[in-house]
Amino acid sequence: MQNPDLIKQMQEKAEAVQAIVSKIVCLEDAFQYIVDLTKAQGGQTVVAAGLAAKEQDLLKKQCKTADLTLLDFPLRPHADKIHTALTPVDWGIAETGTLVLDSTSEDIRIATMLAETHVAVLPASKIKPDSVSLEKELNAVLKTDAPIYYAFITGASRTADIERVLAVGVHGPKELHILIMEENNA
Amino acid sequence: MIKTAQDIKSYKKKLKEALEDEFLRKALDTFSTVYRENRPTVYQGIDFDGIKEEIAAGKDATLSHLTELFEEFKTNAEAAGAKVHVAKDAREANEIISAIAKENNVKKIIKSKSMTAEETSLNDHLEMDGFIVTETDLGEWIIQLRHEGPSHMVMPAIHLSRYQVGDLFEGVTQKKLDPENIDKLVKVAREVLRPAYLEADMGISGANFAIAESGALGLVTNEGNMRLVTTLPRVHVALVGYDKLIPDLKSMLKILKVLPRNATGQAITSYVTFIKGATECGSSPTDRKDMHIVFLDNGRLALAKDPVFSEALRCIRCGACANVCPIYSKVGGHKYGHVYIGAIGLILTLFYHGKENDRAIVRNCINCQACSSVCPVDIDLPYLIKKTYRAVLDQEGKTPAKNFFLSKVMKNRRLFHFILRRAYLAQKSFAGKEPMIRHLPLFFEKEHGYRSLPLIAKTPFRDKWMQLHTKVIHPKHNIALFCGCAIDFIYPEQGKALLDILKGHDVQVEFPMDQTCCGLPALMASEEETAKEVARQNLKAMDSANCDYILTLCASCGSHLKHNYLKVFKDDPNAPANLKAFTDKIIDFSSFMTNVLSVSSKEYKETREKVAYHSPCHLCRGLGVTHEPRKLIEIAGYEYVPSKDEDVCCGFGGSYSIDFPEISSEILKKKLDNVEKTDARILVTDCPGCILQLRGGMDKRCSKIQVKHIAEIISEVKK
Repeated sequence: MQNPDLIKQMQEKAEAVQAIVSKIVCLEDAFQYIVDLTKAQGGQTVVAAGLAAKEQDLLKKQCKTADLTLLDFPLRPHADKIHTALTPVDWGIAETGTLVLDSTSEDIRIATMLAETHVAVLPASKIKPDSVSLEKELNAVLKTDAPIYYAFITGASRTADIERVLAVGVHGPKELHILIMEENNA
Repeated sequence: MIKTAQDIKSYKKKLKEALEDEFLRKALDTFSTVYRENRPTVYQGIDFDGIKEEIAAGKDATLSHLTELFEEFKTNAEAAGAKVHVAKDAREANEIISAIAKENNVKKIIKSKSMTAEETSLNDHLEMDGFIVTETDLGEWIIQLRHEGPSHMVMPAIHLSRYQVGDLFEGVTQKKLDPENIDKLVKVAREVLRPAYLEADMGISGANFAIAESGALGLVTNEGNMRLVTTLPRVHVALVGYDKLIPDLKSMLKILKVLPRNATGQAITSYVTFIKGATECGSSPTDRKDMHIVFLDNGRLALAKDPVFSEALRCIRCGACANVCPIYSKVGGHKYGHVYIGAIGLILTLFYHGKENDRAIVRNCINCQACSSVCPVDIDLPYLIKKTYRAVLDQEGKTPAKNFFLSKVMKNRRLFHFILRRAYLAQKSFAGKEPMIRHLPLFFEKEHGYRSLPLIAKTPFRDKWMQLHTKVIHPKHNIALFCGCAIDFIYPEQGKALLDILKGHDVQVEFPMDQTCCGLPALMASEEETAKEVARQNLKAMDSANCDYILTLCASCGSHLKHNYLKVFKDDPNAPANLKAFTDKIIDFSSFMTNVLSVSSKEYKETREKVAYHSPCHLCRGLGVTHEPRKLIEIAGYEYVPSKDEDVCCGFGGSYSIDFPEISSEILKKKLDNVEKTDARILVTDCPGCILQLRGGMDKRCSKIQVKHIAEIISEVKK
């Protein structure tokens, strides 16, 4: 179910916290987006975490053609070299423009925490109105005995610790791009 | 190393330094104004009062079974590979963490922000044990470099300017930096600290929530450093107070609605993170994080069982009580707390850091209730601060002269009133022929000279009553006037104005002669027993009048009678039977005029004179009356002229203005400046205490603005 009101709210709330939101219709659009963005920002490296092997290969080729390097897993040895990170996310929360991402895999964490720019792909059907409507899904994850690292991400990292002046891009990504994927609308 | 003044004399010295720090004053003043102005926008569409009651009730339910919740949390966290420890006090917590570091051959430690670690002085301990500790939260890193404690729970370096930070960072980078470019300064932290994350063997964090039903920790952050601290090193230790335990995810999501809004004005922070158990970790020899959670007691478990103070454990560390505090906005962080800053800090310091560190700071509350009005967990902060002061006095076995006097004199109405009458005679020698005392006798210090003082009236209101009293044949309303000491003995004309206004409204007014001081000054001096005794006397006195309403012209008396009487008799089996009936009858002047008498503009001459309004703390927050006085000003044919920060305290606070004149005068100055920026020639309020302060201040600056009680301006235009 893709609710246009929720998509609109998601976009507005995310933009209110300096996220850059675009619409795409398929994953290939995201690949093109990340390649173009990385080139435009003068970056040389790309990582992707959470993609299927086939998709990963496709992106790798696309990067190579564009003279960019898609870094291999595990990402830890490349931790200080990541320019752009691409990750799908599990859910969106329209009320606050929040992305919800299971970050239990260390590669996903390193990608989303250390990249200069984080590009997230959010399927429009996964946008929930508020955090309370995600309670059941969240609890299903949290209440198993498996170790878990789960993240709500809203905008890029920020601080107001010096004279209360807002500065975006502290220890986490300096920019957050959200690609809302509206399937079946192509 | 945090050093807090341990006696009032050295505290006063520190306050003076803070008041002379111009950057600090300006920064905090702007902050507090901006915070208050943004708040309504931040809470748009959210029922703050409703949600805070729900959260408070939830927290209270949690506090009564913390140990069970802890066991549940422990079982669930350990099932996912975490190791859970218990520390009975700060030292034990630090030792446990140091031992974990030693067992794991740790050399370098990185930390994300944790007030609990500040509470235990963890860094000092770890550094003494030879570890290299680096704070990574920008504010915490700055204060670590300066060897200071935090000046705010959420913004630890709010006391510093960009220039001070610039100088500090130039020292770190050995490069020239442009301090005007805050964005660049922030990037210095990013660049310098990046390698520290990668080199560290152990990461230490706090946590905002420990969710019992899942064993997960919940962390609410903005900068992204906590995520790196909990991801890159092979060992993670979370230091968590017992008070962070909550039963379930639902409770956390509820608190999450208010925590970021209250703290930083955000709907949600950049990151909300759930961490459970030993997650994947490439730098660990086992590929799994060595994950430890240390629960800190340090008095919390005992506090949770305390019938009065357990409320303080509801605190979710949003810092808002500092943001709105008029005193914090003048003297700032390090002078308004020990480790924990703001109103809650004045309370928690006694329990976590001892009476020595609390005995001076705990006295610095003006009881304006700005803090409790924004507290998202409904802690009655001003009341608990007075209770804390009492606990300090009891622990020290001390009775200050003021308390001795209050308890001896106030319980005996005749003696108390005798002393007030004698004061009329005593003041003659230094008032001369002037209408106010403009030059204080020499035994006052010069700090007290910021306001002229009123004279004690020659004839108190009670002595005029027999002449003023009239009998109404068919009364529509029977009211008893509770006039309060200030109107009785200083401003009887305000009481007379009321009687003039009510003429022709078929209101029978009675003035029970046995009424005495409401008891608020006793409660403010932490003399609750005395407050209780005078409450009994007033309940008895007012019972003799058969009335529908007990009307007050003093907001402080009104709010004390209505709310504090219930508090002082709470859980008392000998509470007077008429207590609830009494408190239900309390009404302020403006509400009586607009809501009960429904007066109309036809009764008044329309002058369109411009009137500014000061909203007394105990009316707008104490009694929740905001609309009525402004409406009444307009009904009576005046033009109400809004001024900035109308609902911010005037700095009076009863004996506060005598105990802390240096702060009281600064709060007053800002208030008067704001009023003088309008074109009003009259400043109106509905509390004689505020009038004493405001009129005294206006007189001292030779202002043309007259300060009046709202009843006075209404009686002046009555047709």
